[in-house]
Amino acid sequence: MITKKTNWTAMILLILGLSTIVFPLYLTLVIAFKQPTEMTNSISGILSLPKVWSLDNFREAMRVTDFWNSLRNSLVITLAAVGLSIAVHSIMGYALGRNKAGSKFYSFVYLFIVSGMFVPFAILMMPLAKQTAELGLANWFGVILLYVVFYMPMNILLYSGYLVNIPMALEEAAKVDGASTWTTYWKIIFPIMRPMHATVAVLTALAVWNDVMTPLVILAGSDQNTLPLAQLNFQTQFGTNYNLAFASYLLSLIPILIFYIICQKQILNGVVNGAVK
Amino acid sequence: MMKGKRIKYLGAALCCIMTAFVIQGCGKAADGQKVEIEIVQYKPEAATYFDMVEDEFNATHDNISLKISSPNDAMTILRTRFIREDYPDIIGIGGDINYSYFVDAQILSDVSDYEGLKGINQGYLDIAESLELVPTEGTYIVPYVANAAGVLYNRDMFEEHGWQIPETWDEMKALCEEIKAEGILPFYFGFKDTWTCLAPWNAMAVELSPSDTAKQVNSGNTNFTKEYRELSEKYLELLPYGPDDPFAYGYNDACTAFARGESAMYPIGSYATPQILSVNPDLNIDSFVMPASDNKEDRTLNSGIDLGFCVTADCKNKEAAYEVLDFLLADENIQKYIDDQNAVPCKAGEFKLSPMLDGMLEFIEAGNMTDYQDHYYPSEMAVDAQLQTFLIQQDVDAFLKKFDTDWQRYNRDIIRLVQAYEKEHKNV
Amino acid sequence: MKNERKRTFLLITIPILALFICFNTIPLIRGVIYSFTNFKGFGSYDWVGFRNYIDLFSDARVGKSYLFTFKLAIVSTIVTNVIALLLALALNSSIKAKSFFRGAYFLPNILGALVVGYIFNYFFTYILPALASMIGIESLKSSILSDPGSAWFGIMIVCAWQAIAMNTIIYISGLQTVPEDVYEAGGLDGATGWKQFKYLTFPLIIPFFSINMVLCVKNFLMVFDQIMALTKGGPAQSTESISYLIYNNGMSGGQFGFQSANAVVFFIVIVCVSVAQMKFSGKKEEQL
Repeated sequence: MITKKTNWTAMILLILGLSTIVFPLYLTLVIAFKQPTEMTNSISGILSLPKVWSLDNFREAMRVTDFWNSLRNSLVITLAAVGLSIAVHSIMGYALGRNKAGSKFYSFVYLFIVSGMFVPFAILMMPLAKQTAELGLANWFGVILLYVVFYMPMNILLYSGYLVNIPMALEEAAKVDGASTWTTYWKIIFPIMRPMHATVAVLTALAVWNDVMTPLVILAGSDQNTLPLAQLNFQTQFGTNYNLAFASYLLSLIPILIFYIICQKQILNGVVNGAVK
Repeated sequence: MMKGKRIKYLGAALCCIMTAFVIQGCGKAADGQKVEIEIVQYKPEAATYFDMVEDEFNATHDNISLKISSPNDAMTILRTRFIREDYPDIIGIGGDINYSYFVDAQILSDVSDYEGLKGINQGYLDIAESLELVPTEGTYIVPYVANAAGVLYNRDMFEEHGWQIPETWDEMKALCEEIKAEGILPFYFGFKDTWTCLAPWNAMAVELSPSDTAKQVNSGNTNFTKEYRELSEKYLELLPYGPDDPFAYGYNDACTAFARGESAMYPIGSYATPQILSVNPDLNIDSFVMPASDNKEDRTLNSGIDLGFCVTADCKNKEAAYEVLDFLLADENIQKYIDDQNAVPCKAGEFKLSPMLDGMLEFIEAGNMTDYQDHYYPSEMAVDAQLQTFLIQQDVDAFLKKFDTDWQRYNRDIIRLVQAYEKEHKNV
Repeated sequence: MKNERKRTFLLITIPILALFICFNTIPLIRGVIYSFTNFKGFGSYDWVGFRNYIDLFSDARVGKSYLFTFKLAIVSTIVTNVIALLLALALNSSIKAKSFFRGAYFLPNILGALVVGYIFNYFFTYILPALASMIGIESLKSSILSDPGSAWFGIMIVCAWQAIAMNTIIYISGLQTVPEDVYEAGGLDGATGWKQFKYLTFPLIIPFFSINMVLCVKNFLMVFDQIMALTKGGPAQSTESISYLIYNNGMSGGQFGFQSANAVVFFIVIVCVSVAQMKFSGKKEEQL
C-alpha cells in the first residue's frame, strides 16, 4: 500500500482560502482591543493595531454581560439540549430511517417531522409564548424542551441519511444472537453512528449557543441571561459599543470552538470504516 | 424487560428535572405585606439610572417593593407578556404608534386622577392626547422625558468660520453653499440605516405640514400628495450637501464621520450625541431647529415623548403605582435622567439642560414644539424604507402616490375605526 | 421477533411524535388561526376570513420579497455547496495541520451576527471600493450594498461565507462513511482525481449531498440574520427577504395576522420545494 503523501495542491488552496477567514478575524481582534476613540472610517485607521494592548475591554465586557453567570446558563442549556437531542433524535432517526421505505405510516411521520423544519419561527413565537406559560414551562426547562423539538427535523434528516450507509446485515447478525431491537440499537447502531452524533452535536450546539429569540420570548426578560441575550446590552437603538461587543463575542467564541475541536476528533475517528469491512 | 426499565428511568429522571424547575419557579418569597410594583421600561441605555432609582426607592419605602427592568428588545418582551396576560404594573414606552395601539387595545388604565399630571408641560399632554387613534376619554400616559430632533452642528467649526445659525429655508441653503465653498462637507447622512432617513424628514415636516396630517388623511379630508409635496421636494434639495453615496453609510458611520469633523452638520436627534461623543469626547456639539419654511412664524421644534409611564389596566394597586410615579417625577431624579441621557424633561420647572440643546432652548422654554410625524406611521408600512427608496430614485410623484396608496392599505382598520367614530359623533 | 421489532419502533415513535406535535404542530395551528384575523399581536381582534390571503397575492412588496429570497437562495445554495464540497475534500485529504485547518474554516459559523455585520459592512463600504479604485475597476468603486441592483450579491457572499462551514462538516462526516478499500479498488482500475470523485466518492455521499441541499435551501430561504446585519432590507427595499417581512411587520409591527398568513403560505411553498428536492435526490440514490 502506498503511504499517504501530503497533498500539496490541497494545502496551497487551503492556505489561500484561509485569507477569507484571517482577515475578518484580524479585524475582530484589533477592534476588540481598541478604544471607541480609536474608531475611524479610514482604512488605515481600522487596520492599524490598537495604541495600547490592554485587556480592559474584555474585563468590562465580562462585567457588563455578567460573564460567568451567563456562561454557566448558556453551557447548561447547550449541553442539556445537545445531550437530549442526541439521545432522542438518533433513536427517532433510527426508527424512521429503517421503516420509512416499507411503511406508509413511518414515511408519513418522517415527512411530517422533517417538514417541521420549514415552519417560520415567527409564526410559532406568540402561540408558544402562550402555551409554555399555560403549561408552566416558561423556564429553562421549557427552553431546553423547545430546542429538542426545534432541531428534531434537521437531526432526524441527518441521522436517517447516515443510516442509509449502515448495512442492515449488522443488525440482522445481532438479531440472530437473540438481542432485542432495543438492545441492538444501543449496543450496535448507536456506537456506529458516532461521527453523526458528533456532527449533530456541533450543529445543535452552535444553533443553541447563538440563539436569542427562544430564551427572549420564553423567559420574557427574567434576570437570568444567556450569553447572546447579555450581549444585546452592547446594542441600543441609538448606539453600539463595538469594541466591548467584539471583545465579548471573542470570549463567547472560545467555548464553542473547543467543543467543536473535540467533536471534530469524533467525526474523524469514525468507526464505520472498520465496521463495514 | 430491559426496555421498560429504561423508559421508566428516563421518565423518572425527566419528572425530577421538571419538578426541580417548577419548585425553582415558585421560589419567589412572599414578602410580608409589601405591595410589589413592577416596571418594564424600553430604554436599555438608561438601565443604570433605573437601577439607581430602584435601589433608592426600596431603601426609602417600606410598604412598596419596586422592581424595574430595562430589558433589551423590550417591545418583544412586552408583547410576549401581553399575550400571556402577564402585565407589569407600569410600562415605560415612547409616545409613538405602539402607544396608540395599546390605548386602543385597552391595555392601559386612565391616569387622569394622578396628581403628578398637573406638573407636566401641557404641550406634551396634548401630544399624548392626539396620539390616540380616536379621541378617548382620559389620560393614559405620564410623559417623562422628550427628545428633540433638528440639526447637530460642530460648534467650534461654526465659530472658527463665523457661520450663523439659519432661521429660514433660504438661509439654510445659503449656509450650506457657504460651507461647501470652504471645501467642507455641510451634512453627513447615514441613509444605509433606513430609520435615519426619517430624522431630517420629521424635522422639516413640523414646519411644512400640519401636525395632524395623518389624522386628517384618516378622516378623508386630505391626502399626502398634497401635504407632503413641498416637504419631499425640499428634502431632495438637501442631498447635494451630503456625501457622494449617502446610502453606503450607516448611522454609526455617520456618527463617526461627524465626530471626526468630516462634516459641519448632522441632521439627527439629540439621542445621537452619546454615540458621537464616544468616538470624540472633546467635540463641541450644539444643535439648532431645522428651518424648512421661508416664514419665521412657522418655526417650531420637532420634539416628542421619548419616554412616558403608563399604568396597565391590570395593575392591582394604583395608589402604590402613583407613589412610584411620584418618586420618578421628583425633580432631582428627572435632573439625573436628563444629565445622563441629554434628554428634555416633560415636567415644567427649572431644569439644567445639556449644553448640546442650547440652540433649542428658546423653543423648549416657550413650549413651541410639534410631535414627530412618524409617530403616526405604522411601522409595517416602512415609511423609512420608502423614504430611502425615494431618495435613491428621486421621483417625487411616484413616492407620494405610493405613500397614499400604501397608507390606505396599511391603515385600513384604523381608518374604519376613525370614520365610524366620526359618523357616530357627527350629530353630537 | 417481527412483532417485537414493530412494537419497539412504535413505542419509540409515538411519544416523540407526540412531543413534536405538542410544541410544533399545535402552535403552528394556532398561528394558522391568527392568519384569519386582523390580530396585531395584542389586544382584541376581528375575524377577517380570507382577506389576509387575498391581500397577500396582491401585495407587490410580498411578491418582490419572494423573488429576492429565491434568487438569493438558489445562487447561495450552488455557491455554498460547490465550495463546501471542495473544502471537505481538501480537508479530508492527506494534509498537514488538519485540525488547525478544520478549526479555522469553522470560525465563520460562530462569529456573531453583530461582528459579521460590522466587518462585512466595513469591507463593502470602505475596503472594497478602495481596492477597486486602486486597481481601476469602475463598477466596484461605490459600495455594492448601496446599490439596489447589487446589494443581494453582497448578502449572498456573507450567507455563503457563513454557511460553508456547516455544509463542510456534513460533507466531511459523509466522507468518513466511504470505506478506504473503495479507493484502493478504484486506484487499481485507474480511477484517480476527477474520475475517482465522479464515479466513486460522489455516489457514496449522495445522501449527504441531499441533506446539504435541503438544509441550504431551508436556511437560505429563511434568511434573516444576514439581512438584519447587512442591509435591513435596503437599499430601496431591494433586500427584504420573506422572513424579514414576517418578523419585522408581524412581530415588531402591527401586522401579526397578515404576516401569519404570509408565514403559512411561505411554509407551504418551502415544503413543496423541499419535498420535490428530496424526491429528486431519492431517485438519484436509488439509481446508484
